[in-house]
Amino acid sequence: MAELNAKLILEKAMPRVLKATVWGALNFFVVYYLPMMLYPKDILPLDYVTPLIQYAIIVVFFAVVGQLFSGTIIGCGFGIARALVIIAYFFAVSDGGIFSVTLPISEVTVNLAVDISILLLMIVSVNLFNIAKNLLAAIVLLTEKSTDIDLT
Amino acid sequence: MKIVIRMLSIATIILWIVILFFSVTAVYSVMNLGITVGEVQMLPSSNGITFSLPFSITNNGYYELADLNLTTRVTDPNGTVLDLTETVVPSIPRGTTVNTSHTIPIDLDAILSMNHVALLLNDSSFNVEIFAGLNFARAVPVQLSTNATIPWGAPFAHFTIGRISVSPHNSTHSEATIPVSFENHAIIDITGTLKLEVYNDSNEQIASGMANINTPSQQSYADSLLVYMRQQDISKLTSSGNMHIIFETPVFVVEWWEQYG
Repeated sequence: MAELNAKLILEKAMPRVLKATVWGALNFFVVYYLPMMLYPKDILPLDYVTPLIQYAIIVVFFAVVGQLFSGTIIGCGFGIARALVIIAYFFAVSDGGIFSVTLPISEVTVNLAVDISILLLMIVSVNLFNIAKNLLAAIVLLTEKSTDIDLT
Repeated sequence: MKIVIRMLSIATIILWIVILFFSVTAVYSVMNLGITVGEVQMLPSSNGITFSLPFSITNNGYYELADLNLTTRVTDPNGTVLDLTETVVPSIPRGTTVNTSHTIPIDLDAILSMNHVALLLNDSSFNVEIFAGLNFARAVPVQLSTNATIPWGAPFAHFTIGRISVSPHNSTHSEATIPVSFENHAIIDITGTLKLEVYNDSNEQIASGMANINTPSQQSYADSLLVYMRQQDISKLTSSGNMHIIFETPVFVVEWWEQYG
């Protein structure tokens, strides 16, 4: 029994864990490390590091669990959850599409407001696509399971 | 079904690439904007003062800057709007530089006709609210706002009237000497006619006179003005009363009341 479990872990779980680790590291590199490399901490007069870390945590977490449960209904559920969390996160960070910040420049305080509604709309659209994709994938998975004939 | 899922995956990837590409190039474009703001210049004009703010924008980014709008609102310390000026630059295409200046004309006659006598006699400050807006890549509207304070120098600061002394002038009139002093804190020279009307404590006009004055900016004026009164009115002159001061220039006329004695 122990031998069977070890074999199962080696054959099924380990590749998934390895894939999830690589996928998580790749996502962290693209979402956090690459932007920080392009735009170092002090290049813009804004605190964009904190939101970037938060976003990286969300993306890496869902990338890892998505890979761990890929090809399952749970994986599809995490895919939908990821899309919803990202939509909510961007809405919260951008204050509903109007990103405003107060910048102290020498002795003057400058209020900056950037209307990123279009960008937000694109992010919402892409995540709605993701939700649709995961729903369809879940339906496909359920359909395949229900039509499988067990001949044993 | 699997084809649909695949198509959705491809569409998702393409959209993410578009979002990332736009975000990265937009930030890069903003970082490559060269904005130079010159010193605020205060220049005397035909009807008052003109504040001029020269600025240039060099667009070295990937996207066009459209509908650049710079609006300034000047208010006095009480919040009364003295001026509202707008400068619009319709488009700054990529790779171009726009040099322009935002000019705020202050019409002194209009301001002084609004019973802003306090501005004549006391130094003050104007509050300038600055709003700037532009449309980045015709997709992302950006708005900036700030405010600043501009000091205002009173043209008749510390206006004082000294003790009136009377001496005979001729058989019908007497001559009253009124010491007047003030400091011109304004950026413009004070050139015009100062007319004085002397009223006693019963509010009867008993004397009047005028003098031409020319006081350069940041200089003091101290002189004695001569006014003439009829012999029979000398007895009506009281130790205290009011003085109606009218200052006329080719651009504006201002008048106010001062107490003497």
